[in-house]
Amino acid sequence: MKSREEEYKEIFIAEALEYFDALNRHISDLEKRPQDEQILAEIFRLLHNLKANAKAIGYLNISDVSHKLETAFSLIRNKELSFSDEVVTVLFEGIDLLGELIHNIDNASYGDPDPVLLRNLDIIVDNLSDSTIELAKVQRYNTSKNLSLSELVYIQIKKLDHLLNLVGELVIDRDRIVSISRELENDELKNVSSHLNRITEDLQYSIMDARLVGIGSLFNKFPRIVRDIATAEGKDVDLTMAGHDIQIDRNILQIITDSLLHLVRNAITHGIEKPENRLKKGKPRNGSLSLIARNDRENVQIQLTDDGKGIDLTQVRKAIVERQLLPASTVEHLSDTEALSYLFEPGFSLAKEVTEFSGRGVGLDVVKNAVDSIGGRIRIESQKGKGTTFILQLPTSIAVKGALLFEVDEIFYAIPLIHTEQVVALEVEELHEVGGVMVADIFGETITVVYLHELLNVKEQEMNLGDKTKLKGMVQNIIIVSYNNRKLGIIVDKLYRQQDIVVKPLSKPLDAVELYGGVTLLGSGKVCLVLDVPAITRYFISRKQVLAGEHNF
Amino acid sequence: MKRILIVDDSFYMRTMLKNMLTDAGYEIVGEAPNGQTALELARETKPDLITLDVILPDNTGLDVLKGIKAEQPDMKVVIVSAVGQEVIVNEALEYGALSYIVKPFSEEKVLEVVSQALKEA
Repeated sequence: MKSREEEYKEIFIAEALEYFDALNRHISDLEKRPQDEQILAEIFRLLHNLKANAKAIGYLNISDVSHKLETAFSLIRNKELSFSDEVVTVLFEGIDLLGELIHNIDNASYGDPDPVLLRNLDIIVDNLSDSTIELAKVQRYNTSKNLSLSELVYIQIKKLDHLLNLVGELVIDRDRIVSISRELENDELKNVSSHLNRITEDLQYSIMDARLVGIGSLFNKFPRIVRDIATAEGKDVDLTMAGHDIQIDRNILQIITDSLLHLVRNAITHGIEKPENRLKKGKPRNGSLSLIARNDRENVQIQLTDDGKGIDLTQVRKAIVERQLLPASTVEHLSDTEALSYLFEPGFSLAKEVTEFSGRGVGLDVVKNAVDSIGGRIRIESQKGKGTTFILQLPTSIAVKGALLFEVDEIFYAIPLIHTEQVVALEVEELHEVGGVMVADIFGETITVVYLHELLNVKEQEMNLGDKTKLKGMVQNIIIVSYNNRKLGIIVDKLYRQQDIVVKPLSKPLDAVELYGGVTLLGSGKVCLVLDVPAITRYFISRKQVLAGEHNF
Repeated sequence: MKRILIVDDSFYMRTMLKNMLTDAGYEIVGEAPNGQTALELARETKPDLITLDVILPDNTGLDVLKGIKAEQPDMKVVIVSAVGQEVIVNEALEYGALSYIVKPFSEEKVLEVVSQALKEA
């Protein structure tokens, strides 16, 4: 986290440079209209602020010089000092010196201000300018000084969006050129393309980097929000936060802002109990809420934990059955995490029984959609009576994402890495047909496995997701994906490599197909479809329920 | 929680004051960088207390003080000024400012003056 001292220093410098520029502007005006009261008042105000600020932060050189100049200008204002050429020169030099001091705040090797200049300022201030004491010539060390502008620029986010889109296009063309140069035996082309490759990569990361902001910019708003909600609810909540420095794309942060606010509100309103109830349960009087951000591989993880009443899984299971999302016999075997994932189902939360008992869920599908839209993940962990944790897994950057490339029926596909858990190879005999689908025991977990060829390229009437005989070959490559706490194995024909891809939206009429999240172009020029893991999982679950229905569950 | 309006033309000073006061549990209802905004915010937010810098770009702080007092005679105003402004500070106290803080200020001084001013009837 940026310390308060650093923040103060940045603000001081930015404001001091503004004052410095304004001073230069006004003193030039003053030279033309030496009697202008308004300009004098403004110069006086700027110097006054600079002095006070510098004194507060402890830059005594700056406050000292500002003070001398302020005094000189107040003498001019009171007509006790004339704005003569000699005086003007010294004042200009004094203001230049201020600029130099401000610019060199971080420069340890910068020495003391020119003593001759300081003495000249003293002479003016002590109103001795018309005595016999001569104003000494200050060494014009700065005649060749450079004009210096602020080191920081503000930029509209849409300009950065545009740059990111352009670099996305460039990455696709780069891949194409790299691929062509591999085919053509031309050394010069190879050199140029490998250089282009490096430069494009560098450019891509630089632009992504320029869009990053500290998560602290969002976190810092929460102490106040938490306090306000807690007060309104008559609860006492201690908030702890960590990971302010973690960097994330500004638009991603923007998109999840409302979701996070929603989760925090829910945690206080429905999760954390009133003080008297907490004491009865032997919990500390104050509820605790923690908001932690950390880097997790390429992603950013945000974890929100409360020590409130937690979610009653019995009620959740009951509601799943009541809403006919799953048959009772299936729900019994559902793991806790799987059962909790149903809280994200649209409308699920509206079940009165659930909101009354668990109090969670209002609008959780909205939160889920926001997280899905940026290619992130969210899951819940909860223990009744102990509390609830939401874990959000977010990509650091948008547009360019890591993906796993593979082939089914000679068509290229990609799955974003954020949804891939692992890749395994299994013998056909390790797959079992259960209830119209294939399942496999993978590292001690029973996971439903789907043959992608069957799901994507076979007519719905002829589809048989449980038929092992349709598989080609003895060993099956399976990509385990996960979405909303549910794992699914996807059988593919051929696995390729991991690659950064730029996902483009599908053009019509393909976008009617909900299983694809977009399309990307490979270096070879071939089109590669990007699978929408949330959609596939949902589609598959609905298929499974149809099948389950046929099997008289 | 007591609500405070900060009037100062320096962003740096406003930030320092805001942090000190927020940390101490006060609510900052607004920040005004000039006299015009100060008068508008005082009207809209009706704070419990205003910290007022005496040197402002458009009005002098004194004019702002008079303006606020004319509209809300009971408004509590604390002057924030730098060394050398004693004449203005004295005048401000005559116009109804409760107390004053001299820049550069310490956190203790700010909190002491503010809490004292809020206690006054």
